[in-house]
Amino acid sequence: MKKTISLVAALMMISGSVAAQSFDDAFNAQRAMHGKGHSFTFEGQAYTTDHPEEVAAAVEANAANATKLLASAKAKYAEVLAVDFGWTLTKKLLKSAKKALEAGEFRKSMNISAQAEYHSRMGIVQYHQSQAEWIMAVPE
Amino acid sequence: MKIIKSLLAGASLALVASISQAATSGNTMETVDPEADRLALQSFFQKRFPQVPINDYVNGIYALDAPSREQWEEIEEFPPYEFDIEEGETLFNTAFANGQSYAGCFTNGGIGIRQNFPRWDESQGQVVTLELAINQCREANGEKKLGWKKGTIAKISAYMAYTSRDNVFDVKIPNDKAKAAYLDGKQSFNARRGQLNMSCANCHVAGAKILIRADLPGPTLGHVTHFPVFRSKWGELGTLHRRYGGCQKNVRGVPQKAQGEKFRNLEFFQTYMSNGLVVNGPGARK
Repeated sequence: MKKTISLVAALMMISGSVAAQSFDDAFNAQRAMHGKGHSFTFEGQAYTTDHPEEVAAAVEANAANATKLLASAKAKYAEVLAVDFGWTLTKKLLKSAKKALEAGEFRKSMNISAQAEYHSRMGIVQYHQSQAEWIMAVPE
Repeated sequence: MKIIKSLLAGASLALVASISQAATSGNTMETVDPEADRLALQSFFQKRFPQVPINDYVNGIYALDAPSREQWEEIEEFPPYEFDIEEGETLFNTAFANGQSYAGCFTNGGIGIRQNFPRWDESQGQVVTLELAINQCREANGEKKLGWKKGTIAKISAYMAYTSRDNVFDVKIPNDKAKAAYLDGKQSFNARRGQLNMSCANCHVAGAKILIRADLPGPTLGHVTHFPVFRSKWGELGTLHRRYGGCQKNVRGVPQKAQGEKFRNLEFFQTYMSNGLVVNGPGARK
């Protein structure tokens, strides 16, 4: 009986070590718990819970920066559409960002552009994950 | 001690299951086996719903859920698609401007052939669905293409399905190019997409008959047999690709193109999975 317990425990430990937390898992957990702007450490390194798009948008709110961010978000949207994994909300976000830019609401426009670009980037991540992992969903 | 033994047995089984899942194959041209896939899917549903005969899966969720079936059977007493079949017959038999008709484009004059679609067309190098064949027929006779999702094309398709009722689906995969199209469809079916990160399989394999808000998703087995369908939500007849687009929107994904390569390959995969079941289109759904 003891042998059986040890064997199962050992197998479970192996299984657990294979499934060790990745940076993405750690980031997503921290982001879910604390939202943006939170600091955390992973394997001895310091990180924040900000998405790269939010970091890019954390610059002076002016017409030039808002225009640049909107262009970048549109380019990323074109990228995700090219692989056929776009999300429905993104187009609406891009329209809102453009509208805010035209109304001179630069901060609002930049934040929405950041969100739109994040959606597109996640769609591209999803595309690559789907290519690699779809078979795991097929019943045996 | 009995409890400990049971827990240990459970843990061991879970480990074995995860190991066998990790060793899954069938995602490459070398390993994919359509017939094995079809049998595995049938076996999955037979284990999950042992009381449901395989042949009843043509009725979708109504094969699995008795209260829904009761309502559906009442709807079928006066089928909402009845007039569409009649209109479809008229449209099918109306001659083109050049004097030809749809009958000239199909084997057996287009009657009783729904079960052979979609099919791999070697000369075109692609999967040809019934709706694509209808529009190719029109173009070959100098007519404009119809819209893919509803209206005239759905009515003609409904009539053709009606003339094929009880014929057994027999989709063939004759060569490697066709197998590649099947594999592409299989991937589409199982790949997660949209902001909700869900695949067709999430709802229609693992999630069949599990409530999503107030709706019970149907099983993928038999999914295609009753199309085109009159959906109560639409209030009219629609094609399978209209439904595909709706599903993709539901998971907040930008829908792929009706009758584009991706949807045609998906239909090819799904229909192969339903080989052996009968045509029962057009159908009525919620």
